[in-house]
Parts: sequence; C-alpha cells; structure tokens
Amino acid sequence: MMTIYAYLLVSAAMFGIGTYGLVSKRNMLRMLLSAEVMFNAALLALISLAAPGFPDPGGVLALLAIGLGVADVGVVVSLAVLMMQLKGEVDVYELSKFKE
Amino acid sequence: MSSLPSWTSSVLDLGVFAVLALLAMAFSLLVVEHRSLVYSAFFLALLGLVNASFIATLGFTVIALFHVAVYVGASVLFMIFSVTMFRGGPVVERRTMVLALAVIPMFSLALSAVFLTFQGTPVPGVEVSYMALSKLIVEKYWLPLLIFVVAMATTMMQAIVLTRKEVGRR
Repeated sequence: MMTIYAYLLVSAAMFGIGTYGLVSKRNMLRMLLSAEVMFNAALLALISLAAPGFPDPGGVLALLAIGLGVADVGVVVSLAVLMMQLKGEVDVYELSKFKE
Repeated sequence: MSSLPSWTSSVLDLGVFAVLALLAMAFSLLVVEHRSLVYSAFFLALLGLVNASFIATLGFTVIALFHVAVYVGASVLFMIFSVTMFRGGPVVERRTMVLALAVIPMFSLALSAVFLTFQGTPVPGVEVSYMALSKLIVEKYWLPLLIFVVAMATTMMQAIVLTRKEVGRR
C-alpha cells in the first residue's frame, strides 16, 4: 500500500535538486527554473500533507500557491527582459551594478 | 478495476508511483542541468505534468487540472517563449559547485527525517470537488482571495512597467 511518506520523499529529493540549481547557477533564468522545481516540490508536499487530515483547506492553499507561482514567473522574466536590454546578458552578478 | 484482486491493484499503484517518481527525478535534473534554456523550460513543463499526475493520484483532481491549465499551460509556455528571445550560454558558478552538490543529499535527507512522522500514513481516498472548493474560497477564504487578486494585479502592472522601460533615457 502506498503511503504519504513516499510522496514526501519524492518531494524532498526534488527540493534538493532545485536547491542545487539555485546555488550553482548564475544565469537568472536558470535560477528561476530551479526555483520552479523547488516550487513544484513544495506544492507536492503541501498536497500530500493536506490529503489525510484537511483536504479542502489544503486544496484552497494549493490553488492560491499555483497562482502566486505563476505571478513570480511573470516578474522574474520581465526583470530578465529588462536586464537583457540594459546589459545584454542575464548574469545575476551584474545586478549589483544596476545601482545608480 | 474492481474485478481485479487487491494485490494486483496495489502492484499497479506502486508501479505507477515508481514510474512517476523516476520521471520527476529525471525531469528535475534535466531542468537544472540541460545546456539549452529552451529545453530546460520544456522539461519544466513535463515536470509540471508529472507533478499534476502525483496530485491527481492523491485525489485532488481539480487541483491537478488547475495545475496543468494555469501552471503548465500558461506559465511555462510563457517562459519558453520568453527564453527563446535570449541568447548566450549557461553561466555556472564554479566556486559554489561543491557546496551545491552537497546540498542535494543534505536537503533530501533532512526533509526525509522531518517527514518521518508520516511513514505509516496510508494515502486516503479523498475526492475534492470543484463546487466544494469554490464555495470554501468565497465563503471562508475571501480575504486570502482578495490579497491574491491584488497581488496578481500589481504583478501584472510591474511586469508591464519593467518590460516597457525605455533603455538609454535617463
């Protein structure tokens, strides 16, 4: 029989892989993609933990989380577009030079 | 499926879960490590589909459909179209590579230890309906919904302002 713990293990491994990408990359879009892997892991953990005890509030939280996950994609991609226009690259080390 | 013996059903469940788990790991690694950003975004879409399958197997079919429609259908496709406009190879931070590689087992083991309390909990047969969720959001969770709508609206404005910012004019 499947248990909740198996889902949580998959979620933990996905979170670790996403964190690895976030730490090891300097490309802003690559970091965004890694953060999205972490988001997927967190969403899976949220749903798994909500399933046994309180499915309805967990479902509401998941809906709002998915919406906010989409919103952060919009913001970071627009920042990357701006950075590409200004600097011609998306290296996050260049972000500190944006200060005027 | 009811005509099948119970052990067959369990084996099928386990098989589906194992395939999904392997696909999730593979797509996560490909998102992080693939040379092309466009392919990485494409693999993120596939990871979203696998995640939606996980969510559906837990009984949250409505959330799974929402995840596919909104996250995979809108967000990741938007990202793919945006990423195709950028040029340049991947930039890797070499100095933190060892730390970054150590992070994978560190986080996985730490979170597994935290989740250990759920080891014996079976997957319940929940079925969350669209009607129940929408009623709950409107009647009980209207304030988070309001904050969410305001956040989405300001995000949209911020994205438009940032991308329309004229370069070179001070």
